Amino acid sequence: MKYGKAALISAFVVGGGQICSGRLWAGISFAVFFYGSIAIMIKIWTGFNPGFWGLLAAWVLVWLYNVYDAYKGVGYEKPPCEKACPAGIAPWIYVNLVAADNSQPYSFVPFFRTLELICPAPCEDQCTRRGIDAAVAIRYLKSGVKMQVPTPKQKTKKERIAVIGAGPCGLTAAYYLVNKGYGVTVFEREQKPGGVLATLIPEFRLPQSLLDKEIEAAMNVGVELKYGVAVGKDLSMDELLETYDIVFVATGAWKPTKLGIPGEKRALVGFDILRQIKKGEKFKLGKVGVIGGGNTAIDIARSLIRQGNEVKIYYRRRIEDMPAEREDRVEAQEEGIEIVPLTVPIKIEENRIIMQKTECREGRKGGVKVIQGSEFDVDLDHIVMAIGQYPDTDFLKEYLKSDTSGCIKTKNWRTSHPKIFAGGDAVLGSKTVAHAVGHGLNAAEQIDLYMRGIHPLFARILKRTYYPHVFFLPLHPVERMVIPHRKVEDRIHDFEEVELKVSKNELKKEAKRCLSCPLRYRP
Amino acid sequence: MKLKRIIQIIAVIIHNSYIPALLKGGLYQGFLKKGCTPILNCWGCPLAWYSCPMGGLQHFIALRLIPYYIIGLFGTVGMIVGRMSCGWICPFGFFQDLLYKIRSAKMKLPRWCSYFKYAMLVGAAIMLPYFIGEPWFCKLCPDGNLIAGIPLVLSDKTSDLKALVGWHFYMKAAILVAVILFSISIKRFFCRTLCPVGAIYSIFNRFSLLKLQIDKEKCIECESCRMVCPMDVPIYQSSNHIDCIRCLDCVKVCPTKAIKYEVR
Repeated sequence: MKYGKAALISAFVVGGGQICSGRLWAGISFAVFFYGSIAIMIKIWTGFNPGFWGLLAAWVLVWLYNVYDAYKGVGYEKPPCEKACPAGIAPWIYVNLVAADNSQPYSFVPFFRTLELICPAPCEDQCTRRGIDAAVAIRYLKSGVKMQVPTPKQKTKKERIAVIGAGPCGLTAAYYLVNKGYGVTVFEREQKPGGVLATLIPEFRLPQSLLDKEIEAAMNVGVELKYGVAVGKDLSMDELLETYDIVFVATGAWKPTKLGIPGEKRALVGFDILRQIKKGEKFKLGKVGVIGGGNTAIDIARSLIRQGNEVKIYYRRRIEDMPAEREDRVEAQEEGIEIVPLTVPIKIEENRIIMQKTECREGRKGGVKVIQGSEFDVDLDHIVMAIGQYPDTDFLKEYLKSDTSGCIKTKNWRTSHPKIFAGGDAVLGSKTVAHAVGHGLNAAEQIDLYMRGIHPLFARILKRTYYPHVFFLPLHPVERMVIPHRKVEDRIHDFEEVELKVSKNELKKEAKRCLSCPLRYRP
Repeated sequence: MKLKRIIQIIAVIIHNSYIPALLKGGLYQGFLKKGCTPILNCWGCPLAWYSCPMGGLQHFIALRLIPYYIIGLFGTVGMIVGRMSCGWICPFGFFQDLLYKIRSAKMKLPRWCSYFKYAMLVGAAIMLPYFIGEPWFCKLCPDGNLIAGIPLVLSDKTSDLKALVGWHFYMKAAILVAVILFSISIKRFFCRTLCPVGAIYSIFNRFSLLKLQIDKEKCIECESCRMVCPMDVPIYQSSNHIDCIRCLDCVKVCPTKAIKYEVR
């Protein structure tokens, strides 16, 4: 039953829409409440008086709420995992599907398998089960999910939308927009789709074959992709704005941050190294020091150690404060990468690299202070900079506002230019793939609202809630599964995947650990 | 079934079970009506055994007398268990709990709405009866209308009462309809925003013998307690909030057993 149809039925017969959409008791309650109160008042009726207007207002309120309820569906309290997910996925649904033996397929989400491999899993940090023993392995459980395969969609609307950048954000937005019936063209600077995923993320974290398969599945709905077109160089922005109704900017963050120390030109740029390695080049650098504590730094270090180099990571704060994924960091340490905390480079000379010790407060807040007189030489052949990146939005300068670091300023994914929307790393600076996918999803929704002329606030009120049929699981006294990894001795010599797959039964056992919070807390 | 639900059902039977009223009509006017129950339960209900403390309070204030007995009752119960009687024996609270079980679209109430019940207590239950001489909260009370007003008028055989139905009765019915509607979408709407008995007990929550204790070390701020709370109180932030009705659901649901109740 479509929600709109249910609302229409409820408008004529109070409670009818709820019954038609499968909520028998809610429908009966509404009907009894509304018609019962009217019947009682007719029985008591002693003639008109001014109090009747109050009563009428109350009945209109009940009727309105009944229509609203039939449209909106059951409101459930979002469980912590769903609240934490930047990609807008409801993890408890697929976890319950795995526990229930894959009886029904999960609705398609672009880059679902990619997120299985490279998501930092903020949901697991919030999992309620964490209080009993340990969080459910939500990220890893994605491997047991059977997923719907999207079918090609017909173009039903005449508006055309251009998406700049075929990264995770741009492709997600394109997928959802095509599903809504728009004609979408994606412009990509490189010769292949995938953005950061295809050009930077090393093979052992995300195999290229899997990524290709996933992008193909999502693009199957009917997205037009144009490769080798750099907007601003090959194609001007004015031309785009003329031919398309909306331009969605998802260009990502590609400009490496500079540290601003003397001799920085002698250092290697982390981005370039990752790109070359992905293309198949070999680096023999000897002793390498990687500066930075993000995922990029860890990726570079792990890639270089696989090619037989000796790698150390230097980070300006404590090891616990590193923004990189904890699991990746631990894996890197297992592979023999030494992480030196509280250290910054201050000078790079031809044969000499000078570092200095720092001090900082706990957490990633506040500045980092250098300790005077603590300079020391390090014995390194090369130094690689991987201290973050920011968006390169110079080609948009005359069209919209952006802050000093280049991030586009947006509100509800709308920029200061009425025809340009933006999302992903171009807005956020540099965040995870999950953030990009979430931005793509929300931006597609906002573009759709803009095209239909609906105010976002109004849309938020009418946003439908999805309450799938999941099973209430009793508390399972099982410990969290140990995700199997390949042995360190084997894995540091090649670029094969690090995590191994486990049997379906193991996954099912792990999924049953989910407490199904939203069901448990239903009043 | 939960122990709480069983006790709530028993409490409904204990409060409202004067069967002869169903057969012959009329109210119970015997010895027990001289006593108050510690919760809001209209004494005008044909089935009621006991008096309503809020009705009694307003009655005495309207006569410009000090209701020692009722103040004593509130003080004693409040000092021992705080608002616990709201959570375990109040029939109207139970009714709202059941209404919220209807699977519909739900809404949240801003935190400051909790303070509106003090205005109801001071304004409608104390000031107006004192100056005008009439129990004004009773004239607005949705519980009174639900279990006393409408049944009495419906079962009225001599139509003496029907002659009294005027704009005021219609207005009261409108309030009842609105309160039921809001109780479907908001957790215990009446208890949180309007109930003057709850307002009196909530003052004692901080000093009562029965208290909730939070182990901050163990708490992981998972919000399980707030999700399960019938009053939508974030227990992990303020363990003895004015809206806590001591139903002790949070103690059971806490995954780390960080919430404990203790008697001082």
